[in-house]
Amino acid sequence: MSETSSQSQSPPEDSIGRYFLDIWSQNSKTLSLRASSGTESAFEEEREESPTALDTVKSSGGFSVVGADKLSLTYPNDQLHGHDVGVVQANCPAPSKRLVYYFEISVKHAGVKGQIAIGFTTSAFRLRRQPGWEANSCGYHGDDGRLDRGHGKGDVCGPPYTAGDTVGGGINYATEEFFFTKNGVVIGSVYKDVKGPVYPTVAVHSQNEEVSVNFGQDPFVFDLKAYEAEQRTKQQIKIENTSIPQDASYGIVRSYLQHYGYEETLKLFDIDGRNTMPPISVIPENGDSEEDSISMYALKQRNTVRRLIKSGNIDETFSTLQKWYPQIVQDHTSAICFMLHCQKFIELIRGGKLEEAIVYGRGEFDKFKDLSGFDDLVKDCAALLAYEDPSRSSVGYLLSESQRELVADAVNAMILSTNPKMTDVTSCKQSRLERLIRQVTACFLEKRSLNGDQGEAFQLSQILNSATK
Amino acid sequence: MSLFGIVIRQLVGNQAMATSKKVITRADWEKKLNDVKVKKEDMNKLVMNFLVTEGFVEAAEKFRFESGTEPDIDLATITDRMEVKKAVQSGNVEDAIEKVNDLNPEILDTNPQLFFHLQQQRLIELIRNGKVEEALEFAQEELAPRGEENQGFLEELERTVALLAFEDVTNCPVGELLDISQRLKTASEVNAAILTSQSHEKDPKLPSLLKMLIWVQNQLDEKATYPRITDFSTAALEDPAT
Repeated sequence: MSETSSQSQSPPEDSIGRYFLDIWSQNSKTLSLRASSGTESAFEEEREESPTALDTVKSSGGFSVVGADKLSLTYPNDQLHGHDVGVVQANCPAPSKRLVYYFEISVKHAGVKGQIAIGFTTSAFRLRRQPGWEANSCGYHGDDGRLDRGHGKGDVCGPPYTAGDTVGGGINYATEEFFFTKNGVVIGSVYKDVKGPVYPTVAVHSQNEEVSVNFGQDPFVFDLKAYEAEQRTKQQIKIENTSIPQDASYGIVRSYLQHYGYEETLKLFDIDGRNTMPPISVIPENGDSEEDSISMYALKQRNTVRRLIKSGNIDETFSTLQKWYPQIVQDHTSAICFMLHCQKFIELIRGGKLEEAIVYGRGEFDKFKDLSGFDDLVKDCAALLAYEDPSRSSVGYLLSESQRELVADAVNAMILSTNPKMTDVTSCKQSRLERLIRQVTACFLEKRSLNGDQGEAFQLSQILNSATK
Repeated sequence: MSLFGIVIRQLVGNQAMATSKKVITRADWEKKLNDVKVKKEDMNKLVMNFLVTEGFVEAAEKFRFESGTEPDIDLATITDRMEVKKAVQSGNVEDAIEKVNDLNPEILDTNPQLFFHLQQQRLIELIRNGKVEEALEFAQEELAPRGEENQGFLEELERTVALLAFEDVTNCPVGELLDISQRLKTASEVNAAILTSQSHEKDPKLPSLLKMLIWVQNQLDEKATYPRITDFSTAALEDPAT
């Protein structure tokens, strides 16, 4: 490499320190608020726009009248030509980065012929045709119950509907199907071959027809939650049939405990695991394989330092590191030293020693001026001084156990990197479990983006909170 | 557009999709991996869930202390559950039944299949120990009435009693009933029932996550080449085949 900027010259250890500094910045509520408008989050779909009303700009001439609430639709009273359909789309396309989208209409009056339709159309759709009569559209029709999707007539037939009925149209992104309901019961589904965004669409076709639309502002007649749960279970069954190597989970848990230096837990896990029936293959009898020796590197030392940080004893953390791994704290302006000094400052405030904290901060923080991102984090720390009860302030996260844990994880990674046998920096920063979670998440996101942004993302927190059996 | 035109367009579209996979380089993929946000707290929960569900009670207690993660179940109940499980695994079925009833009598009351399997296991243990008369008596008095209620139970009972008909039980057609795996099967059934009665999932979440990884990689393989992870014991990225 010919480049000789100071950035690329920095040793790998510093990349580890900076990595954890970045995680800290992401955890910071004040910083993430400021950053949220600029950077793209991995979970954008939560903020996807959903239809809330009927569109009144792109109306179909005089053949439909949208009510003042933008949630009802009538066919005009005047005698008009029988071929003129009044079609109205929602004010935005159905959101797609989810499992299911769904909306409902209630038929108030069936009018002269009851030729009402509910369905989905693209932005290019001609608003004078019934949804389902043209390519790239689909619709469920009141007069004959047909589910059309622009492929000639009557692909699938459901029951007709009329005044007093509530019918719904939905998109199941997992199976890539449009489905329709009548009075809370699914009556059929058709394959969704339409690519790109589709709009919830309602059509009226004869005099005095009147419908009201529910985009979710009122409870649905259809039990959407149960439907979603059922679809999730279906997908889950498919996934559960995948086979994985026996005892793989045990190996991953074990490596997690090794990685973070949870030494006591590991010890008991191994003892328990040896007594389990059938015996667990991944727990070595006397733990001395080559693979194991790398994972077990400095386990005792890492555990000791972790405990010091977790108990808030930063002075002793420094002196212990100085004694065992002087190279980690050698560079006084490194990211890892910065994190430790901040933690010391935080611990002083936790102990109510505000004046001491100020003196300490003035003495230490100055030398980190050149560290990028340093400014904002120091501001977060200093803000603790401003509150009478800082734990309940916007920077209260600094006083939480997870902040200590973060600093401990950073030091742990630094110690791992001192192993001469360790060649891969990523495996110092991330446990095997973490790398697997990243891979699952990235795969799901990529799969979705290659499928027209349809479907759910993978979210670990959702799996943790789900209680399906 | 004519119908013919639409068909042609779709055929061409399908062709293109079948032949051209998106190629994602290692560098690009690593960037995507870096953009994923993983919370330490969530990983800790995943590990705690595994320890608790698999019954590593002492490790779970220590993990709570070392990582500050709260278990999603009262740890004391794990000890009871594991005692039941171990009793079945070591052939003390009577003891296990008593312990389950101490824990929550509804578990066996509402689960006739589980109760039958425990009784069946008890019969197997009697036969294993050569207590022929006791075994016959137990089969007639305790198990036969249940077999009358349920065809499946009856067949199981007949299969088990057949053990008595063979001189060399280990090599007979129903010898597998005497295998250690039968005990483990019964033990894990009781374990699952107790977890369900405590409104806890009967399986840990981590294995499902690993299955998801394999599943989604297989799905993505159809549309793209990218660095995969196939070896869980290293979790190393493999270079995409080009």
